[in-house]
Amino acid sequence: MSEAISISVTVNGQQLERSVEPRTLLSDFLRYELHLTGTHVGCEHGVCGACTVLVSGEAVRSCLMFAVQAAGKEILTVEGLSGSDGTLHPLQAAFREAHGLQCGFCTPGFLMTLLPFLSENPAPSESAIRKAISGNLCRCTGYQNIVEAAKIAAERVGG
Amino acid sequence: MARRYFGERVRRNEDARLLTGRALFVDDVHLADMLHVAFLRSDFAHARVTAVDATAARSRPGIVAVFTAEDLGSFWQPGPLLVPPPPIEGLVFNPATQVPLARDKVRHVGEPIAMVVAESRYLAEDALSDIVVDLEPLDAVVHLEAALAADAPLVHEELGSNLAAHVIQRKGDYQRARDEADLVLARRLHYDRGASAAIETRGIVAYWDRRAEELTLWDTTQAPIPIRNGLARMLGLLESQVRVVAPFVGGGFGPKIMMFYPEEMLLPWASIRLGRPLKWIEDRQESFYGTTQERGQVHDAEIAVSKDGRILGVRDVFLHDTGAYDPYGLTVPINSQCTLLGPYRVPAYDSEFRAVFTNKPTVTPVRGAGRQHGVFVMERLLDLAAKGLAIDRTEIRKINYLSPEEFPHDHEILFQDSAPLVYDSGNYHPIIEKAEELVGYRQFLDADQPRHRAAGHCVGLGIVSYVEGTGIGPYEGARVTVEPSGQVRVATGVGTQGQGHFTVFAQIVADVLGVDVEEVHVITGDTREFHWGTGTFASRGVVVAGSACYEAAKRVRSKIVELASATLEVAPHDVELSEGRAHAKGAPSRGIDLGELAVRANPLRGAVRPGTEPGLEATAYFGPDRGSTAAGVHAMIVEVDPETAMVEIKRYVVVHDCGKVINPLLVEAQVQGGVAHGIGNAFYEQLVFDDSGQLLNASFMDYLLPTATDVPSVEMGHLETPSPLNPLGVKGVGEAGAIPTGAVFAQAVEDALHDYDLEILEMPLSPNRLFQLMGESTRGKRPTNGGAG
Amino acid sequence: MIVEGEYTFKGPRQTVWDLLQDPEVLAKAMPGAKDLRQVGEDQYEGAMQVALGPITAAKFSLSVILSDKVPPERYAMEISGKGPVGYTRGTAHVELAEQDAENTRMSYRANLQIGGKVAAVGQRLLDSVGKMLTRKGLEALSDELEKRLASS
Repeated sequence: MSEAISISVTVNGQQLERSVEPRTLLSDFLRYELHLTGTHVGCEHGVCGACTVLVSGEAVRSCLMFAVQAAGKEILTVEGLSGSDGTLHPLQAAFREAHGLQCGFCTPGFLMTLLPFLSENPAPSESAIRKAISGNLCRCTGYQNIVEAAKIAAERVGG
Repeated sequence: MARRYFGERVRRNEDARLLTGRALFVDDVHLADMLHVAFLRSDFAHARVTAVDATAARSRPGIVAVFTAEDLGSFWQPGPLLVPPPPIEGLVFNPATQVPLARDKVRHVGEPIAMVVAESRYLAEDALSDIVVDLEPLDAVVHLEAALAADAPLVHEELGSNLAAHVIQRKGDYQRARDEADLVLARRLHYDRGASAAIETRGIVAYWDRRAEELTLWDTTQAPIPIRNGLARMLGLLESQVRVVAPFVGGGFGPKIMMFYPEEMLLPWASIRLGRPLKWIEDRQESFYGTTQERGQVHDAEIAVSKDGRILGVRDVFLHDTGAYDPYGLTVPINSQCTLLGPYRVPAYDSEFRAVFTNKPTVTPVRGAGRQHGVFVMERLLDLAAKGLAIDRTEIRKINYLSPEEFPHDHEILFQDSAPLVYDSGNYHPIIEKAEELVGYRQFLDADQPRHRAAGHCVGLGIVSYVEGTGIGPYEGARVTVEPSGQVRVATGVGTQGQGHFTVFAQIVADVLGVDVEEVHVITGDTREFHWGTGTFASRGVVVAGSACYEAAKRVRSKIVELASATLEVAPHDVELSEGRAHAKGAPSRGIDLGELAVRANPLRGAVRPGTEPGLEATAYFGPDRGSTAAGVHAMIVEVDPETAMVEIKRYVVVHDCGKVINPLLVEAQVQGGVAHGIGNAFYEQLVFDDSGQLLNASFMDYLLPTATDVPSVEMGHLETPSPLNPLGVKGVGEAGAIPTGAVFAQAVEDALHDYDLEILEMPLSPNRLFQLMGESTRGKRPTNGGAG
Repeated sequence: MIVEGEYTFKGPRQTVWDLLQDPEVLAKAMPGAKDLRQVGEDQYEGAMQVALGPITAAKFSLSVILSDKVPPERYAMEISGKGPVGYTRGTAHVELAEQDAENTRMSYRANLQIGGKVAAVGQRLLDSVGKMLTRKGLEALSDELEKRLASS
């Protein structure tokens, strides 16, 4: 087994130093080392998108990345979305409004996928939204209400 | 006036926790000293186990224990039979239930052989390759039709054949119906396996607290209470020493009701033995063969109709694939058998099935639970009959619908819950009429389709009916408590996997007690909170547990009214409840907060009248005599690209009658989700096994779930025919969306490919398979501009 | 999985036959094979490592037993491999025909059962990996043949 490596990362605005084994996945690091369990793992092979987080502002699948690859970078997880007083981010509020979640397991991945998408596409068409989330799997909702939530969020954030 | 929540599109109480990442799922449980488990699973579908040597694995650093079947001693027992077969005359049932670790034989790929416990999951998985297993491969039973051949290899030698069950149910005289018929059509229809594919895989954390002598299990189960009771029995503990928590569960869809999975028996056992908490989270690949599956059936079906389109009788002989074990009894094939009758008057029905063991993962219900097979067979037969008699598709259905006067309607056979198959209520004609209107049926046939065809586009419409037996017993319970804060707590035994129980149960209780829905806190799936009940299955949560919540809330209301009447000095019938207060009718200021009443109901000093129960709390149970029957019509318009056989869904319409609707927002979402699942089962998802029983597509790269670009927005209509079997008038809805999708898909695609003269008699299809069928079709010519009609 | 095909070696049949009976050559014809050694008459054992898409290093212990030998015309091989990511077992038939005095036509057909992770997640790639391994193996044999003929 290889030696642990010391890394420094900024997670949800907080700078952290940790030592990790090189083979530790970023998803496992967030969940088991930092106890940020809002990031979920659904397939461990980069298809379902549940583990999506932002690394340097870009949506990435944390199950396909090693923690050491995130060294020196800024990470945003679902826990960093809402205000410190617990106020929901407009995107989160839109999901509640549109009933865009059922079991809620895939939801953090959808939120973290839509966040950068909506900031780059403030007024997206329905088909653009559907394409944007086509790399995230949801088994409960049939996607319709997730699309609605994205539309509501775009209106509120964009307008 | 108090606000009423029943029937309102109330936003969900549980969402804030889920949206912020605070909701607890099993894999989020983190305990000090926790160990991690990995399983060595069989690579072979069928093999004799001659030796298992874990010596090398045990000596690896970080490995705490390795257990094989031999190490389990007397704990090694086959799991319980969950659902005994209904009392059908002449029924044959051969039980063979799963074992915790394979001992003499492995019977499907992925069956666990050894369990490794280590300081981390990474280390546990490293050690798997050090375990040496000697297996002597045997020929595998894979194909249903071959399973009962005289020379077939045997999954369970002791049974002497691969027959798991043989069931015949009959009503009327089919032979006579056949003789009198103007048209008799017979076809062979296939339905193949799919995965439930909840995005959260299964997982377990087991913790034996040595000082408290208490076992706590966090489990992704749909049935925490039966798990608690069963574990207590297996481990020789009191039921009260075992607490099972099903926290937030990331989708169930049926397989999470199955019990006991080997892991569910082994982790608690090992935690007691090792004195440390253990965690196992199924990985996606394990899930493809470690979690139960469904849907393999082959039907030889025949329909006899009169020339005016009346069904005189149906005969259906089918094979059902139960996989390597049959712990769930006959639920799935009996659902197929019963649901085939649909919303129709079928005077003669002759149905026979054989369930067979195969060397594939065990079959237990998956959303729909055999119902889609029955619907597929019946709807396909009706489509063929309509064609044969030149009767309109919707007309032949209307001719055969049961009329409202015919309810309750006794089909004279037994349902999965052992009760007679009696429909409680229904009114089917308005459902299809509304669906025709929404989808524009006549307009499509008369104008749109000819125009599309003239332009060379393969556009077609499908429209089918179904019923769904929902909300079966035996019972569920609930306890409702008004706390001194004025907040209300509702505890019930059913677990929740995203259905919205935290909100629907809260709506029911809020209406009865006149409180804000957000003041009602629902606790589900924790046996310490409530330990009577069975679980979430058969679309029964709201029907059965919802009714129990209602009954318990009514009892609490009586207590409130009685106490408020004494406190406020008004007659009981003059007490009103609203906005969290009890007050005199018409005089809101003359009242008292419910919280204050709760304090008074639990005094610290003084005397109470004999017989007084403390607090504002009540528990109630509800058990319906039998299930309530929901119904619906699905219609869809598709365009097929004849070059690629890709199917684009242009429109999807559902008109559904699930009795009274408590929350339309949630009901619509259940249906929409079910439709997506159904579309997956119809066109994308198929578990492919080779001749040696290997599953060939055990990843989301190869097993395709529909994505946001594959699933259309569903247009929905509701009708309400209340159920007389429960106080709320509700019927279940959880599985409805997924049930008729295969049938409507087949009809729509056939219609679109009118010129190919296809008969689609199998599910799932795929672009590849459809392309192949188009190639094989007898006419096979592509529509030409202006040539088709 | 069925791997079958034909290949023409530029060499006489007896030379090709002798080549195929040499364990060292046999090892070269199986890309990824390591330490293939003769453990008995017509019995070989060794290890093999191949890459299969998401599985970057599938390691197998390998056993090959030659049977039904009719020199220099045909023989059969019983192959079995086992490892942490799965197994393979099956039979291969090899036939050598004299195309002319200088060229030998080999036809081969292997029917291999493949199981475990390799089958479950590597399925899409099995055919192409199988073909690639076969091609590499035949090219290696052909090179070896050329060397032998040049040195003799």
